[in-house]
Amino acid sequence: MGLLALGTALEWPEAKTKAGQVRQWGIEQLLANWRRARGKERDALLWGDEVEYLVVALDDAAKKSRLSLAQAEILKSLARDEELWKSGSGKGSETGDHEGEDPPHFHPEFGRFMLEATPGQPWGIGFKDLLKVESNMKWRREVAKAHMAPNEVPITLTTFPRLGTKDDYIQPYYPPSGPALRSQFVPDEIANPHIRFPTLAANIRSRRGRKVELNVPVFHDTNTPRPFKDPTVNYDLYNWPEDDDVRNGAAKDDHVYMDAMAFGMGSCCLQITFQAKNMTEGRRLYDQLSPLGPILLALTAATPIYKGFLVDTDVRWNQIGNAVDDRTREELGEAPIKNDRWRIPKSRYASNSTYISQDPRLRKEYFDPDLVVDEDIKKRLMEGGMDDLLATHFAHLFIRDPLVIFSEDLEELDLNKSDHFENLQSTNWQHMRFKPPPPDKDDIGWRVEFRSMEIQITDFENAAFSIFIVLVTRAILSFDLNFYIPIQRTTENMETAHARNAVLDRKFWFRKDPFPRRVPRSAQQSTNGSTFSSTASSAVNTPPPSPPLGPVEMEFDLMTIDDIVNGCADGSFPGLIPLVESYLNSVNVDVETRCFLASYLDLIRKRADGTLWTGARWMREFVAKHPNYKQDSVVSEEITYDLVKAVEEMTVKEGKKGSVGWELLRGKTV
Amino acid sequence: MKLILSSSNIMQAGRQSVIRQPVTQKSNVELINSLRSNFLASQQIETALANGTDTNGKSAASHPPSWTLQTEDGLYIPAIDFSQPGLSEERDQYDITVKLFYLPGIPVSRRCAHTREAIDLVLKELHVKSIDLLIVSFPGILFDADDDSDEEDNEMSNGEPDDFDSMVQTWQVLESLHDQGVIAQLGVAEFGSERLARFLPHTKVKPSVDQINLKDCCVVPKHLILYAKQEQIQLLTHNDCHDILPVGTTRELLGPTEKSGAGILASSSEANDGIQGDVEPQWVVKYTAVVKDRGVVENKGYFASADVGTCVKDRS
Repeated sequence: MGLLALGTALEWPEAKTKAGQVRQWGIEQLLANWRRARGKERDALLWGDEVEYLVVALDDAAKKSRLSLAQAEILKSLARDEELWKSGSGKGSETGDHEGEDPPHFHPEFGRFMLEATPGQPWGIGFKDLLKVESNMKWRREVAKAHMAPNEVPITLTTFPRLGTKDDYIQPYYPPSGPALRSQFVPDEIANPHIRFPTLAANIRSRRGRKVELNVPVFHDTNTPRPFKDPTVNYDLYNWPEDDDVRNGAAKDDHVYMDAMAFGMGSCCLQITFQAKNMTEGRRLYDQLSPLGPILLALTAATPIYKGFLVDTDVRWNQIGNAVDDRTREELGEAPIKNDRWRIPKSRYASNSTYISQDPRLRKEYFDPDLVVDEDIKKRLMEGGMDDLLATHFAHLFIRDPLVIFSEDLEELDLNKSDHFENLQSTNWQHMRFKPPPPDKDDIGWRVEFRSMEIQITDFENAAFSIFIVLVTRAILSFDLNFYIPIQRTTENMETAHARNAVLDRKFWFRKDPFPRRVPRSAQQSTNGSTFSSTASSAVNTPPPSPPLGPVEMEFDLMTIDDIVNGCADGSFPGLIPLVESYLNSVNVDVETRCFLASYLDLIRKRADGTLWTGARWMREFVAKHPNYKQDSVVSEEITYDLVKAVEEMTVKEGKKGSVGWELLRGKTV
Repeated sequence: MKLILSSSNIMQAGRQSVIRQPVTQKSNVELINSLRSNFLASQQIETALANGTDTNGKSAASHPPSWTLQTEDGLYIPAIDFSQPGLSEERDQYDITVKLFYLPGIPVSRRCAHTREAIDLVLKELHVKSIDLLIVSFPGILFDADDDSDEEDNEMSNGEPDDFDSMVQTWQVLESLHDQGVIAQLGVAEFGSERLARFLPHTKVKPSVDQINLKDCCVVPKHLILYAKQEQIQLLTHNDCHDILPVGTTRELLGPTEKSGAGILASSSEANDGIQGDVEPQWVVKYTAVVKDRGVVENKGYFASADVGTCVKDRS
């Protein structure tokens, strides 16, 4: 979440009238900033990870676990320590293991039971830095825990299994059905009380014209009723007009029904942001990482339970998409277009729909034929000097309305700020994000954020996936890899990744040959210019002469995650891990670092080939084996308590020596 | 006659170096594949050009083939145009590491010249005046993580032990290049702690790197770790094959085109379709240019040198 400005937030009817102005100002800010920053050069690789936690309070006597709404107190306490540290009287680390590392930063999140933590300073590519990531993540967890009540723990489950049930799953308890969310399952107090968050939730609901709607297919076990009718849905509630939603069929048979932003934005993710050397490289990474989004989503699957029921999906993604879906019936295609401007195929939170790199390998067949673009905005950007591809990207993001508008910000346009631009940019939650340098910070360059991964239970796993993605970006740049597929296939893959056990059971579209065509030495001079030069000159649109390209359909195929990660047996796709290994063999890596990296790559290799389980699989098995489970899909309070306890133990013992969770962390032998 | 084999920048043809294989398997696949594919690419360009100009297409059959280049240094396979730019950014943005493989059976007396030749080629290729790290790999030394006691057995089993004195002698050549500012840091490969301890007193410029190949990354002898730390020697990993360019492989590489060779060597002792005589690989050098603060490998490649003909230098 970005910085939290204070002010008078407009309610939707008024915000709607100002949307055009915010968009227009946002575009002017973007143009000013783009002009200023497009020539930024030689920025180092810096990267950062974001880890999000649920704060859970354990009641050992009653064998109950509840979400703790203590975010504000914990953050206040953390901030006091940070002040102390800055003034020099505090300690950098209690254990002394983190000498030279700045203390981690903690941030509020949407859910009042959530915390986000980032490293005190960004990481570099120095291999010694890579070694610090895991211990820094552990440090963050320790620091967070030290500022909680004795019975509270930070855990990294994507969602709390019993969020939104009928019992007292939060502490302190508040009854549901407040004015902002109007949810029949969660109270308004579930959300961060900062005006931005309730306004965001209320304006999404208001713009949409009804509550958000999440229907997740239930996992049918032997004793699960057929059809399954979500027993927690109350059809006799009359507090708000939106209470009619369920009477109008919002809750579907055989699905777990949820009705509030908190069910999505209350999820924890693992997000990685990279700084590119310049805009050209950033655009290239944005494109090349995009096809990896669904693959890493399936590989990190960790979300098999919602609202106390086992569900038939393994990941959080679409639930968040639905939880913030502000599209009207017209935009959704459920009613003819009368007042709205267009039909919009995807939620604001969805897989990305644009490619933006000025790469001669980017074929027009890869673009999304259904891309919705605000042509006036695109025209303005191109008049301002921006190229077609990038102008299209932003004109696509800017089809949305700004959701939270502070009236104070509408008085004067400040081209040295980016607030209006960020208003749209940061509420387009796509799985890739291309981030211009902030106008007020010279030392930050063009960045790309990789957003699809699910948070993992242990810091070992979170470090492994973070570092893996970093190494993949280095391999992409070093080998000049080409992962392009038609972007609609990536959209399709994102759906595929939701299936139960998709990591082993499903196939994903992926490019067969990622390598560049060998360019004759005589022609290399011109391509060197385009690959490495900084200025976005028109030369990049002049590809070297090469044999004609075959049909796009021949370039990609359906592959398993194992094929994609470890390589195809028939030798067509080499595999992400062999690519990374090959990269590592080309650089000087010290022995200790290589050992660490080997253990991380081993985890990913084995998740992909099924030797190790995903978090989702482990949780399903945990529930299935629990004596309290009745094969009816219900994840009871007692099971949840035991699950949380097991997860807590796992974060410490990490599945070593056959301790809990070995199936997903180490395997049997270690 | 001297042959100079080159791979050109293999990062731009990454397929050759990415092989689905167990992580720790040592390999010269990268070297062999990248040379082969560079030969092939040069031949194809040549054929394409010949087809454009010469309708009978016979020109490709000349010897040596027109895609190679005879100079006073030797025969370049393929021809290299050193006027092409080497690196895209300024020199100080890069870490340039070079690894020189002295090959088994080649007399130590030639190493001085070989070292200079190999380094010069790399400097010329990358358009730089110096390299940051030179790692030398002596033949006959095998590091064994399970047995750090001594490696003499391995040397003996190889038939031609690279004796200690010759290593020290070779090192003096490297030290002079260091003194001239051509090489900033020196390194060795596959040294165990005892060998290091024996070697260090004989050096003016200490190795700052010891590069070892590990079967299982996490088994490094404790005394090597401690000793390296004490002497401020960085332990780096590699997965290079020990005997990186055997004679037989070189023959195949350069042999008749029908057997997917480069068509440099004659197909038989009677045929006049190529160079006659024995082939003897002399050295192999690998170079890597990494953009320092971005960790991007921009240029990586190999040169190899081989003597061929009826008068291959006497081994004495």
